[in-house]
Amino acid sequence: MSRRRSKALELPLCALKDGESGIVVSVGEERGRGRGIRWGFGKRLLDMGLTPGTRVTIVKSAPFHGPVEILVRGSRLALGRGVAERILVEKTAQ
Amino acid sequence: MTRKKLVIALAGNANVGKSVIFNHLTGLHQHIGNWPGKTVEKAEGTLHFKGYTIDIIDLPGIYSLSTYSLEEVVSRKYIAVESPDLVIDIVDATVLERNLFFTLQLLELGNPMIMALNQLDIAKRKGINIDVRTLENHLGIPVVPTIATKGTGIYELLEKAVKIAEKGSGVKQVQVRYGDEVERRIAELVEALKGIDFLYPARYTAIKLLEGDEEVEKEISRRSRKVASEAKRLSKELESLHGHSCSTVISSERYEVAGCIARNSQKIVSPAKASVEERLHAVTTHRVWGYAFLAVSMLLTFLLIFSFGGYLSGLLGDSLYGLQPVIMNLFGNGFLGELVWGGVLEGIIASVTVALPYIVPFYIVLYFLEDSGYLSRVAFLMDNAMHKMGLHGKAFIPLMLGYGCNVPACLGCRIMETQRERVLAAFVATLVPCAARTVIILGLVGRFMGVQWALMLYVLDILIIFALGRLAFKVVPGEPTALIMEMSEYKMPHVKTVLKETWFRVAEFLKIAFPLIIVGSVLTKAAQLAGLLDPVAALLSPITVVWLGLPAITGITLIFGVLRKELTLIMLATLLGTANFAQVLSPVQMIVFTLVVMFYVPCVATIAALVKEFGLKKAFLVTAFEVAFAVMIGGVATRLLPLFM
Repeated sequence: MSRRRSKALELPLCALKDGESGIVVSVGEERGRGRGIRWGFGKRLLDMGLTPGTRVTIVKSAPFHGPVEILVRGSRLALGRGVAERILVEKTAQ
Repeated sequence: MTRKKLVIALAGNANVGKSVIFNHLTGLHQHIGNWPGKTVEKAEGTLHFKGYTIDIIDLPGIYSLSTYSLEEVVSRKYIAVESPDLVIDIVDATVLERNLFFTLQLLELGNPMIMALNQLDIAKRKGINIDVRTLENHLGIPVVPTIATKGTGIYELLEKAVKIAEKGSGVKQVQVRYGDEVERRIAELVEALKGIDFLYPARYTAIKLLEGDEEVEKEISRRSRKVASEAKRLSKELESLHGHSCSTVISSERYEVAGCIARNSQKIVSPAKASVEERLHAVTTHRVWGYAFLAVSMLLTFLLIFSFGGYLSGLLGDSLYGLQPVIMNLFGNGFLGELVWGGVLEGIIASVTVALPYIVPFYIVLYFLEDSGYLSRVAFLMDNAMHKMGLHGKAFIPLMLGYGCNVPACLGCRIMETQRERVLAAFVATLVPCAARTVIILGLVGRFMGVQWALMLYVLDILIIFALGRLAFKVVPGEPTALIMEMSEYKMPHVKTVLKETWFRVAEFLKIAFPLIIVGSVLTKAAQLAGLLDPVAALLSPITVVWLGLPAITGITLIFGVLRKELTLIMLATLLGTANFAQVLSPVQMIVFTLVVMFYVPCVATIAALVKEFGLKKAFLVTAFEVAFAVMIGGVATRLLPLFM
């Protein structure tokens, strides 16, 4: 988990197309010690299973920049666009 | 012989069939209220089994025991402080790994525990086979397979629960073993916490301190600053070691354990063909068909609620008004008779005929849609549009309901996650013109000025809703919670559970709404009988006549409109002596009057719903704001409209 990856490969989750998968790098919770205004939000994503190293698959995106539907750890989640923009993933080969 | 008592708590993720199990266990012996001082729902029930009186507490559905939502805080406090004799962890077999993540946290609280492995039928259809023995061995707690919707395994669950509860906490349970670096720091903190008296077990407290849990941190630093700063130092160490925040590290390791147990105890053979549920999900979230499906189901819901509600309302009204001669005979035609009939009974009739027939079918439909899983798909489709007014997808439901009746709309705001969003959604929902206001819009403006004007008012209303929604979103403190929502597998709702949920919530609403409605109705009637109405109208005339440019008597009709909005039009006809409003009101006056009625105050039943959900203060604030806003917009319209007409 402590491996440093090259930044070039990291992209926001919402940049993936329908059907593509990625490995979670971070959920936008890295700065500070879990405090700050985004605490609950990042913690919630971790609780839902989006821990670093987890594989996520985009099932589909709602039209007009709506939320995205993802598969993670066997469960189906809907994430608002703003949330999906903050999650960094590393795209995996199909 | 006195009966022995046991307390059992049901805990688990949302959508795992918890309420169905709760209903199987407790039948009609339940009580639904709120946790003291919180707007989190608390469901309690009792049952008798093998000489025991067992209290069952249904905890809210949550995904973690941290502080993300009020529900999580309430749940962990309850388990730690009240320390029930047993916790039944209800687990969705179709999403084993994520459910185990929660199970592991429950184990950390250290209460005696058993697991109900639920929804095994759906899991089987998805090709998931779980070996119960392996799961038991890994967790060290009994696991009972159940299919709650069919009642399978409930008796065994109860039997096992009583057996474990009898043994007390003597059972050895497995704890999550984190990585060595984390374990060493937990041990250090546990050592430091010795002698500090706190709600939670030391190990749990230590883990939460490392995670940076706000509530635990605050409480501990009040007891010992040294321990708190020690915890900060240790989690800093972990952070630099792993390159991630400490809560990320701990969640990851916990998930690793959960994943490992899940992999060892389940075999997944994906079925070759997509199941019916899969295909239904694909259609209902489709970028074209999804919206078509949504439009049709909304329409059907409306038809169902309002055709049934209208029918029932008429039926009840007719039979209740039949009582008038009886009451008048009993109390005479004088002041008392008028007050009893016009005040008390008309109030009761108003609540019985207006609120009840719409609330009951509404609740049935709402729980049906929620339990089936469709509500989460609606939220998915509408998230984007709702974000425009600072809310997320789920708020679409109460908003739509508002067009029918604002009362269920306010009650429906419970589906939002945080208190702030509930208040915002309810505020917006009270601005939606309900069926009663539609009567006025169509009956006054639509009839005497043309449908295009009525339509314009609707469009204006939507614009105002968006604008005020955004404004409230900016003004009310707190941060928006974005949409992070599970879309669990579609399933057939359990009819009995839906009906019971409806019954208990309607009863709870009536307890609060009835007195308010009756008091309001008696007061208005008494004012009328005491001859106070004309002075009041005169008192209001600076607003009604000078500022709004309306006839003085509209002041009286607006007062009665608080009881029921459609009364404003009926009273107007009576007081003006004609139903042909074109003779007595100018077009500008009609529009101004309608605008004011649309916004000026939620009706007394809606106020009651607001009081019930959010307390007196917030209900008063919403009401006061809307009165001021209605007066303002009416006055502006009076001055601007003549320029265009």
